Amino acid sequence: MSALAEVAERKASKPRKRRGAVTATTPATPPPPSGPPERLPYLLDLYPLESPTQTRLSPFFEALHQGRFTTTRCRKDGKLLWPPRVVCPVCHTAELEWVDLPSTGRVYAFSALLAGAPIGQETDLPRVVGLVELDGSPLRLFGRLLGIDWRECRIGLPVRVEPLTLADGRAYYAFRVTQ
Amino acid sequence: MSETREVAVVGGGLTKFGVRPLTWAELAQEAGEVLFRAVPALEASAVDSLFVGAAEPERFAFQSHVAPLVAEEMGLAPSRIVQRNELACASGQSAIRSAYAAIRAGLSDVAVAVGVEKMNIPSMAEANSAMACVLDRPWDAAHGLTAPPFFAMVAQRHMLEHGTTEEELAAVSEKNHRFANANPIAQFYEKKFDREKLLRLPLVAPPLRLGDCSAMTDGAGAVVLAAEDRVRDYTDTPAWIRGTGQYADFHNLANMESLTDWTGLTRASREAFRTAGIGPSDLDFAELHDCFTISELIEYEAIGLCPKGDGGSFVADGRSDLGGDLVVNPRGGLLGCGHPLGATGIAQAVEVSQQFAHQVESSRQVPDPEWAMVHNLSGSANVHSVMIYQRGS
Repeated sequence: MSALAEVAERKASKPRKRRGAVTATTPATPPPPSGPPERLPYLLDLYPLESPTQTRLSPFFEALHQGRFTTTRCRKDGKLLWPPRVVCPVCHTAELEWVDLPSTGRVYAFSALLAGAPIGQETDLPRVVGLVELDGSPLRLFGRLLGIDWRECRIGLPVRVEPLTLADGRAYYAFRVTQ
Repeated sequence: MSETREVAVVGGGLTKFGVRPLTWAELAQEAGEVLFRAVPALEASAVDSLFVGAAEPERFAFQSHVAPLVAEEMGLAPSRIVQRNELACASGQSAIRSAYAAIRAGLSDVAVAVGVEKMNIPSMAEANSAMACVLDRPWDAAHGLTAPPFFAMVAQRHMLEHGTTEEELAAVSEKNHRFANANPIAQFYEKKFDREKLLRLPLVAPPLRLGDCSAMTDGAGAVVLAAEDRVRDYTDTPAWIRGTGQYADFHNLANMESLTDWTGLTRASREAFRTAGIGPSDLDFAELHDCFTISELIEYEAIGLCPKGDGGSFVADGRSDLGGDLVVNPRGGLLGCGHPLGATGIAQAVEVSQQFAHQVESSRQVPDPEWAMVHNLSGSANVHSVMIYQRGS
């Protein structure tokens, strides 16, 4: 289904509110005191939007769903770009191609967030994170380090890219320590 | 081509920094209160331009278009330039730089630069999300990058490459807290932190502990900048802006060449020294961006106060303290004063102005200062902003 058709269908299925309709004036019932705490408004989402209607980088996420870790390289000057882009910042042309990245690397630096997490990560502490040098590549990428306690982590440990799927179906990746 | 004019900061004031029971807009009102008290000759009608440093009011206060809001709260009606400056942790300095440029170019005669940040909100996870979005949100922050783990990795590499120790990091925090201890506006005013206590505080992002990290702070402040022919209307001790430099070299962490060698700061400070016509040895004090203890150490090195890798011993040997080579952060720094993003750069300029006028508490007064440097980094140290001031007589 095209994006436009999807929008049309959503509109059709949405109950219409009559203009000028008077809403009930009874005050809202306060939540029971024993109920769960009220959630604060979720203003922004840290994770990227992935569909072709939202981003020209959707091939990155499609490849990730298929287990491939990719980025863009400029056809003109050969520059490997991270994050993937739609225009090369060196020669300013859109002549980019998708290339596979190495799926292994080594920890270059790491830490762990033990307190002070953003929304969505606050129940997921400690969060071990690090910079990973991809094998045979000039790229040093930041990501979460899985399968290791921060007290056991060391610079130089081998990792591999682990494609993951978020609860809402979006593609995501992390690095898993393999030793 | 018309001649450029000299520009000075002629005074300013700060609200109390800390966890404050008031809103963003109320902080802006307090900025007006402290500004007009600090600069009694200032009339609102003389202010032709307003620059508002505010990093993240959209998320901290769910409010955009804050420049006219601040104008209303402070009773200003700018007739030439009114704008907001957003440069994350350097938003306050960004406002001052724009005011400076406008006056220098002849577009403004008397401008006010304001900084406001309200960071302590009911959901600190929300506030932490705002902070994370300063970084590359989808490609770095979504994977768990926030400021503490970033600067922790910088510290880890500095320790590995140069043998820097946790004790040396704590020495930065101890020094800056000692100055803040005597600064009434500081978040940690009259709070004592010795090195042993700092080394026992909980880890936030190893190897960084709570005392290695600047706090989430509510605070505001404002300074007045004036053209050379208007300076004497306001003060006898102007802080002339003599040099500036700024450099931005990457955004995503993958494109940061070295975690520990901040070449962007080296470039920005060289440009500031070049335009001021002085060198590091001419400085009498420096306000450096100590958002984390490791930042201040690397800044000594990048600016050229000590050789690369020697930042740890520079602070441990007291060379950045009063009586040392160059006193750094006599205000108390971000570590001691707190770091209300947009207000920090304003607070540093107020410190310069007050140091030049010998108006600070005696235990942190620099003896007869003439030259001062102010530095802010923003984001993952991917932007460095530097200004050099000279005391007028």
